[in-house]
Amino acid sequence: MIVFDQVSFWYKDKSETSFELKEVSFSLNKGRINGIVGGNGSGKSTVAKLIAGLIPANAGNLDVEGQNPYQQLHQSGFLAGLIFQNPENQIVGTTVEEDLAFGLENLGLSHEVMHHRIVSTAERFGLTSLLRQPVTSLSGGQKQLLCIASVMVMEPAWVIFDEPTSHLDPWARLDFWKIIDEFVHHHGLGVVIISQLAEDLTRFENILGFKAGKLIFNGVRDEFKMADNDVHEHFNFPESWKFESLMLAEHP
Amino acid sequence: MASHVTELKLNNIKVKYGSATLLDNLCGNFTRGQLNLIVGRAGSGKSTLLRTIAGFHKEFSGSIMADDKAFDPSGNISLVFQNPEALFFNGSVGEEVGYALKMRGVLPDEIECTSKKWLQQWGLDPECCWHRHPLELSGGEKRRLALAACTVFLPPVVLLDEPLAGLDVKGQHALADMLKAMATDHIVIVVTHEPEALMTDSSSLLYLRSGCGLWFTPETFLYQALSESDFFPLPHWYSSAVTPFREKPALPRLEAGAVHKFIQEWRRADADKL
Amino acid sequence: MQISYKPGSGLLHRLNPLTKGTVAFAAIIFFSVNNLSGAVIATIIAGFLLICKLSGVALLDVIMSIRRIGLLLVIVALIQGFSVDGFNPMLAVEAVLRIVGVFLVAGVYLTISSQSELTCFWEACFRPLALIGFPAREFALIMVIAVRFFPVILGEIERIRMAQIARGARLNGGGLLSSATALMPLMIPTLTQAVIRAGELAQAMEARGYRVSAQRTRYQRFRFGFIDLIAASVPLLIFYYLLRPFMSE
Repeated sequence: MIVFDQVSFWYKDKSETSFELKEVSFSLNKGRINGIVGGNGSGKSTVAKLIAGLIPANAGNLDVEGQNPYQQLHQSGFLAGLIFQNPENQIVGTTVEEDLAFGLENLGLSHEVMHHRIVSTAERFGLTSLLRQPVTSLSGGQKQLLCIASVMVMEPAWVIFDEPTSHLDPWARLDFWKIIDEFVHHHGLGVVIISQLAEDLTRFENILGFKAGKLIFNGVRDEFKMADNDVHEHFNFPESWKFESLMLAEHP
Repeated sequence: MASHVTELKLNNIKVKYGSATLLDNLCGNFTRGQLNLIVGRAGSGKSTLLRTIAGFHKEFSGSIMADDKAFDPSGNISLVFQNPEALFFNGSVGEEVGYALKMRGVLPDEIECTSKKWLQQWGLDPECCWHRHPLELSGGEKRRLALAACTVFLPPVVLLDEPLAGLDVKGQHALADMLKAMATDHIVIVVTHEPEALMTDSSSLLYLRSGCGLWFTPETFLYQALSESDFFPLPHWYSSAVTPFREKPALPRLEAGAVHKFIQEWRRADADKL
Repeated sequence: MQISYKPGSGLLHRLNPLTKGTVAFAAIIFFSVNNLSGAVIATIIAGFLLICKLSGVALLDVIMSIRRIGLLLVIVALIQGFSVDGFNPMLAVEAVLRIVGVFLVAGVYLTISSQSELTCFWEACFRPLALIGFPAREFALIMVIAVRFFPVILGEIERIRMAQIARGARLNGGGLLSSATALMPLMIPTLTQAVIRAGELAQAMEARGYRVSAQRTRYQRFRFGFIDLIAASVPLLIFYYLLRPFMSE
């Protein structure tokens, strides 16, 4: 479980009134797909960095599985993985195997443990035959798969995806959602997805909506559908739901 | 002036990349007045086809004709890649837009006048952004500035690689309208993963798959995508809504309102028949 | 026809990266400074190729790449071949064989060594400097990242170049100053993108738990096996051969 209690964040070099995030409180549970929506500068990426422990909160409390992610990342280990939108910019190794090993080396694991984890993760993601391949020979979809695998190999409790579908073609997007469904509903992994695409919104089971550093919507999918027009206008209400409501109006 | 090109013809284009053949035996036309769309999986050769038309990829055989004359891409095209805002290098919006004209030896007064008109055309207020730094603009504004800067010299052929990527729906719709306006005087060719956002303004669609190019109208494309699930993954709601009506001659575009209206009309027509 | 790492599981592939590096280094020195006859050098090269072939090295690309240095070979052959008493084909052939030998060794070394093996060798060369506080491991990681992003950034420069030329940029100006200004449309966007890329990479690395101060373990483990022992005799023999003239006195 992720709990934010009155969390605020602002960058030190800016004036203290320019909040990136202002007194935000919410909690997220495993077992459903959690989505975060919002425009540029709404604070949604800040939330992702806070959960992953990349930055500390300036005020308020946050914990991930009962621990403070910032202290956790900087002292003993790893709670939540963060996957960014461009796969190209987050692959460190020159071969698939090396990239899978990078995070494990940071955790200070022994060779035997690393080898075991790399082999089983590669098998799970269908990367076994590619282990020795140079990263440059992979396709876009395979690169994204590698990014996910490289974080999953570290066995995090939560994974946060920052706009994961924007670099994929429509076919690869379908594959991505299959993986997410598997993670959330069969492997008990906590997943948070940040996206601007309206069609991604229809996949979210629990939705947080941010605007200018404030949480303006927090609820499950059906509550989002029932929300007032301002919310729909602001967060690009998906065409499929518009259609649904047109049909509903016709046959109440 | 070359901007009177109305049609770009591909004759037997065969594109190679090293020893691999990316595209084979591609024939067809790109025309003015509508958006020419190119779709296909990642790696199907869409970007390479754009580079070939732009004259930067030389490993090809066959010919590209502009109204029965061989097409000379140099100076007649604009090539806009994904994230075109990466091209900014000037200190102000004005210089950024005017750059292409400056390099073509246009007089300074004329540059300013043309650039301002063109910014207006792309939905940016020249008065308030002229002296601002290009990177200070918002995401959607940056994209529009980049497209304005790449097309201000009015090239007859405009090649765009995923111009909608990374924009929200409102931004996408606004941009689609501007591309449509541009298409009345220019041949606009767009590579996209979101054909549904642009199909309303299009009448020809090139689908690249395993080295072949297949030409569709938006209607035949939708029809094919409905009957074959792996052909192109349409949104699920759309497929299930219009599948019962796919034998009809015209399918609606991917908008809730349009789909709803279409279904109502056909139901009414069926009821009248009975 | 590019020389690049081809994964394999033959004898040569399985050598310890330190052995690989040392043998290759020694062999390159050997080919450059021996004074053996052409026939002997040719035999050694043939033997070397045979060993490569038997251990499953993808030789085709390496051999085809010799064409690239064709011009160099012709020039060397002409310079070495002509002596005071006319053209001596034997001398020309020997000179050419020496260069081909060096080229083949280097090519095969790059074909059988993955990036991590190259880095391991690099790191080993720098390790003595760690005693005076040189961050050998961090330095090796920088090398890996540089190599990893080299093709990515090249591709990006190419994309930006095409788009700016289409806008009307003339990237090959005249004199030094004017060509510097002419390159602005290429340089500024490339640098900006590289900085953005570096920032994203740094964040991604940090999100995966990377800290400079942390005790990192090492996944790559290279065994020193029996074949390494045999292979290690190669540089020893070569150094013995090279030092022989000094020792016989």
